[in-house]
Amino acid sequence: MTNNSTNTPTAGQSFLVGLWKENPNIRLLLGMCPTLAVTAAVKPALTMGLCVIFVLVCSNAVVSLMRNLIKPHLRILMFTLTIAAFVTVADLFLKAFQPEMSEKLGPYIPLIIVNCIIICRAEACASKNGLVVSIFDALGMGSGFTLTLCTLGIIRELLSSGTLLGTEVFAVAGRGGWFVPWAAMSMPVGAFVTLGLMLGLVNQITKAKA
Amino acid sequence: MLKIKHFIQQSWLLIVSSFFFGLLIAVANAAWSPKIEQNKKDKLDNLMRGLISEAKSFEVAVENVKIKDEKGKMSATNVYKGLDSTGNCAGFAFIASGSGFADKIELVIGVDSKFEKFSGFKVLSSNETPGFGSKIYENYFGSQFIGAPAGKLELIKSGKAEELDSQIVAISGATVSSDAVVKIFNTYINKVKEQVQTKGLIQ
Repeated sequence: MTNNSTNTPTAGQSFLVGLWKENPNIRLLLGMCPTLAVTAAVKPALTMGLCVIFVLVCSNAVVSLMRNLIKPHLRILMFTLTIAAFVTVADLFLKAFQPEMSEKLGPYIPLIIVNCIIICRAEACASKNGLVVSIFDALGMGSGFTLTLCTLGIIRELLSSGTLLGTEVFAVAGRGGWFVPWAAMSMPVGAFVTLGLMLGLVNQITKAKA
Repeated sequence: MLKIKHFIQQSWLLIVSSFFFGLLIAVANAAWSPKIEQNKKDKLDNLMRGLISEAKSFEVAVENVKIKDEKGKMSATNVYKGLDSTGNCAGFAFIASGSGFADKIELVIGVDSKFEKFSGFKVLSSNETPGFGSKIYENYFGSQFIGAPAGKLELIKSGKAEELDSQIVAISGATVSSDAVVKIFNTYINKVKEQVQTKGLIQ
């Protein structure tokens, strides 16, 4: 978390930093619970990512606007209140317009309230920076989160059922094809293994760069 | 007085935002709750239509049938009656639930209009292990219930799945989930039948 008031980032910088350098999942290792839990397929991963972007942008905007009014000792309370309100709205929205996804994601949507990425951005960026920087920071962090989730989702869905977003990519053995689905990939073990390998790869890349 | 002033000074933002966010949630809820209710109803109707294909519409036939499961826990369910295009009864359906391997399994169970045979089941919600317990969704397991006599069912490990009798062949690798489905059927069927009979709804 290098963002602070002495070294104010520009809007573009704060967007880009979230995609790779400070990617919440693979660099900061925040928000691991949804990363592991909802990435069995691409669609829930994408839905989760979009919900997080929405909540992150709204909460960063509100926190940034209120940053000079918030009493320091009450700030966590204010952040949680703001986040909870927007998560509830997102949850209701999914229930109304994406009932199938809402059911699939189950408790993980309400659990965005305790997702550390959002409270971390409120504390590290929005409470110290202006509206524009905060919104771009939220978009960057949210997109970084969504991209990681989708990458995991693509790998796991492809290997566990041979499909992508429900469309068959590999001809599955049960239906006369060659691909034997790895059932383990859709279970928690698949999430841990894939994420572990991905983190290892990212570390290798950053090491090589350094 | 000073204390109150201090309190207000410290917390006015929190109080104001609580009201504001409360309002936001209330508005969102008011705008979308009819749609959410409709979604739930549509889902149930669709599942019931899948079980009773002749039915054009559904109405509640018996409300609040009290069911006691084997652990003695009470629950209540509504029995729905499917009406065909001429308004005759095409069959019955009800929601039944019980514990599965990982979590609660909720099924919609269909029975014919004479309450003699099951017309199958559909899974309303379940969280069974993908690749194993999740096979309760698949046809080869579900089709064993279509046409099975509406009474106590029994789970067997091996046998002919094609035979339509009270013996249900378990899914290999998912005995607990298969057993859970059969148990749900057994917990509900007699009580529901009794209630529908007392109401004189069986032709």
